[in-house]
Amino acid sequence: MYCITDEQIDFILSDIRRNGVETEDLQLNLLDHICCIVEQNLEEGEDFGTFYQQTVRQFYKRDLKEIEEETQLLLTFKNYYAMKKIMITSGIFSAAAFILGSFFKVMHWPGTAALIFLGILLVSFVVLPLMLLLKVKEGQSGRDKLVFALGTLTGMLYCTSTLFAIMHWPGRTALWISTVGVSMFAFIPAYFFTGIRRPETKSNTILTSILLVGATGLLFSMIGIRSQDHQAQIKTYTYVQNEQLLKTMQRKATTIPANSQNAKLVAAINKACEQVKSLVLENAMGVSSIPADIESSHLLIDDGPLGDDFINAGKGVALFNNLKAAVDKYNASNSDNNKLPVAHSIVNASPDKLPQYSSLSVLNSITQLQMYLVNLPEDAGVAIK
Amino acid sequence: MIYSSELIKGTLKTIVLKLLADNKKMYGYEITQRVKELTMDKIQITEGALYPTLHALEAEGMLTTETEYIGKRVRKYYSLSPAGKSRTKEKISEFADFVDTMIFLLDLKTKNI
Repeated sequence: MYCITDEQIDFILSDIRRNGVETEDLQLNLLDHICCIVEQNLEEGEDFGTFYQQTVRQFYKRDLKEIEEETQLLLTFKNYYAMKKIMITSGIFSAAAFILGSFFKVMHWPGTAALIFLGILLVSFVVLPLMLLLKVKEGQSGRDKLVFALGTLTGMLYCTSTLFAIMHWPGRTALWISTVGVSMFAFIPAYFFTGIRRPETKSNTILTSILLVGATGLLFSMIGIRSQDHQAQIKTYTYVQNEQLLKTMQRKATTIPANSQNAKLVAAINKACEQVKSLVLENAMGVSSIPADIESSHLLIDDGPLGDDFINAGKGVALFNNLKAAVDKYNASNSDNNKLPVAHSIVNASPDKLPQYSSLSVLNSITQLQMYLVNLPEDAGVAIK
Repeated sequence: MIYSSELIKGTLKTIVLKLLADNKKMYGYEITQRVKELTMDKIQITEGALYPTLHALEAEGMLTTETEYIGKRVRKYYSLSPAGKSRTKEKISEFADFVDTMIFLLDLKTKNI
């Protein structure tokens, strides 16, 4: 048996490396294999170099790199199936989350936000990138890869801007505009000019492109680029000024309580009003009272739904019921002339309908109720101090 | 007669799994030699096919490995994992079924009679 030297081992290893075998495991396996062959078959006196070249020559058809390539191919193929499985599973999950979330939203059930959030995150950060990776792995041409990359980007942007819109997060308009922009000026042209060059995909490409342009156009028309912020400003400041007006009226109120019983009832209503308002504000603006520097800080009140506190047995529903009870108590002990008009105010709403009201309509309704309290006729009038 | 590489390619995984099922642990060179010995040189596994297959099986979790240092070089021993053991049974019964089908398809039995 031939005894192989350390120098020869180093030589073989560096030769394997030089010939394009990069995986370390594979290098070591081949090294041991070659050493075994040399030890078993090399006769004393025979030349190591020539024998080595002859041996290695039997390992491949073109070059040694084949082994490395074949290994990588088999390894990626295995990942390929795992990735496909993950993509399909998460795709099904996100679709289910979407459908459930939408249904919950229509029914005003809690958990809507979490479900839709999950669905959108899965689609835009798991399903779409995996789809792109798989397509790239399938070895399409460079142009097709570009179209797929742009399509994925558009899809991810679309999902994220939908999320921002549903959650009423700031920056949603800018996101929508970039989605429409990328789709209209990058993805659709790339898709169109790639597909139209091939006779077999020509008619399909034209049809799909028209549909895509139509869909993007519809989206664009729904954004309302300018009006949204102005609208939100007017809505916010109408409420802010109503609130200032109320404070002024309360300060200037000169009427004296007709009886101390009424003063207590009015104070109870005002307290309940402030509690509901601060919870609504916290949900819509993140602070529990209007900040003094609201104009310079550019904060806007989000006119979205009241939030999870006002669903089922939430904190908001309890506060709201408090208010209702206080108003009922007051109305019961006052003559028709002095009763608070609640017929179409938020006080008259049934608790299960609460999630359907928007923050600002509730805030304004409550503030108006408080204004009535300041402006009561002489015999019921109360000054709130 | 040495079988063509196309014929061997589809059965290589099965051969490797079966050998490892019969022998507790083996290294690459040992596998090629054993196959040669058992088939009386009719099947010669090439290095270019064996090692990619071994690495793929390892990545799939069918094989476990242990290494042994022999002087300056490292020898990697392969043995079956529990998943590999059940895969071996599947592979062998699949191949047996395949052989039956081929015999029927190519009309081999009648010719021999």
